[in-house]
Amino acid sequence: MINTLSVTTPSDLELVMTRVFNAPRRLVWDAMTKPELLKQWMFTPPEWAWAECEMDVRVGGKFRWVWNGPDGQVALSIWGEHREVVPPERIVHTERMEMGPGAGDCGPGGECSEPWELLATVELTEQGRQTQLRMTLLFPTKEARDGAAASGMEHGVSAGYDRLDAILAGHA
Amino acid sequence: MVLDSSPRLDRVFHALAHPARRAILRRLSHHEQNLSELSAPLKMSFPAASKHVRVLERAKLVRRRVVGRTHLCRIEGKPLAEANAWLEEYRRIWEANFQRLDSLLADLKAKEEQAHHKQN
Repeated sequence: MINTLSVTTPSDLELVMTRVFNAPRRLVWDAMTKPELLKQWMFTPPEWAWAECEMDVRVGGKFRWVWNGPDGQVALSIWGEHREVVPPERIVHTERMEMGPGAGDCGPGGECSEPWELLATVELTEQGRQTQLRMTLLFPTKEARDGAAASGMEHGVSAGYDRLDAILAGHA
Repeated sequence: MVLDSSPRLDRVFHALAHPARRAILRRLSHHEQNLSELSAPLKMSFPAASKHVRVLERAKLVRRRVVGRTHLCRIEGKPLAEANAWLEEYRRIWEANFQRLDSLLADLKAKEEQAHHKQN
């Protein structure tokens, strides 16, 4: 049976993803909270590499994920703080994201603004021998939500072009 | 990226945020309808339906043409296709993540079962 991902926008500020996994909840929880496991499945575009993956999974504990690009420089950082931790069923964290090694969106005069923050809630529900994951991303503004998906899209699209380049090179 | 938080896409998402307008689009996806045909089954007054259609028009999701006294409404596919492409791309990225998670979970399950067999 194929487990399909559903992505919905129940309000202007939210993005909700649900997906079923053929595994007990305890294992899904581990895969989402243990750095050595998280690194094996979480978003890494081709030619990028994990630089840091730190998870302090308790209320008030911080997490930090950093990727290097093909040039070895920091390409993307995501970080935040855990607000709720109820193993193995519920985890809530704040999240900020920044592209490149810079410090947020810097103006021409060098003034930098903190990137906006979203609130991510992950709920795991046991369904027999399966586990349903429901991830709710709550954005500060609609523009932030739409922009986040659009930036995710840029990664996806450029990754697609990278693969196309490789295929074309193989045929040259 | 052309879709990057464009005001046009904002209008599309605003238009889609209301269940009445999604219902209107669903009805129009079958064929062109006039405002009275649209408003009656949705239990909406004529002005209310007209207001929703105006929001859909601004998002360029619906085109209205006036023939005599009737306002004929037709769905416009392109902005909707773009909005879907945007969400679809998000879905694709996360689906790739979750497929890797599927394999990892299968490995973890297999390892646990092995450990269990060794114990017994």
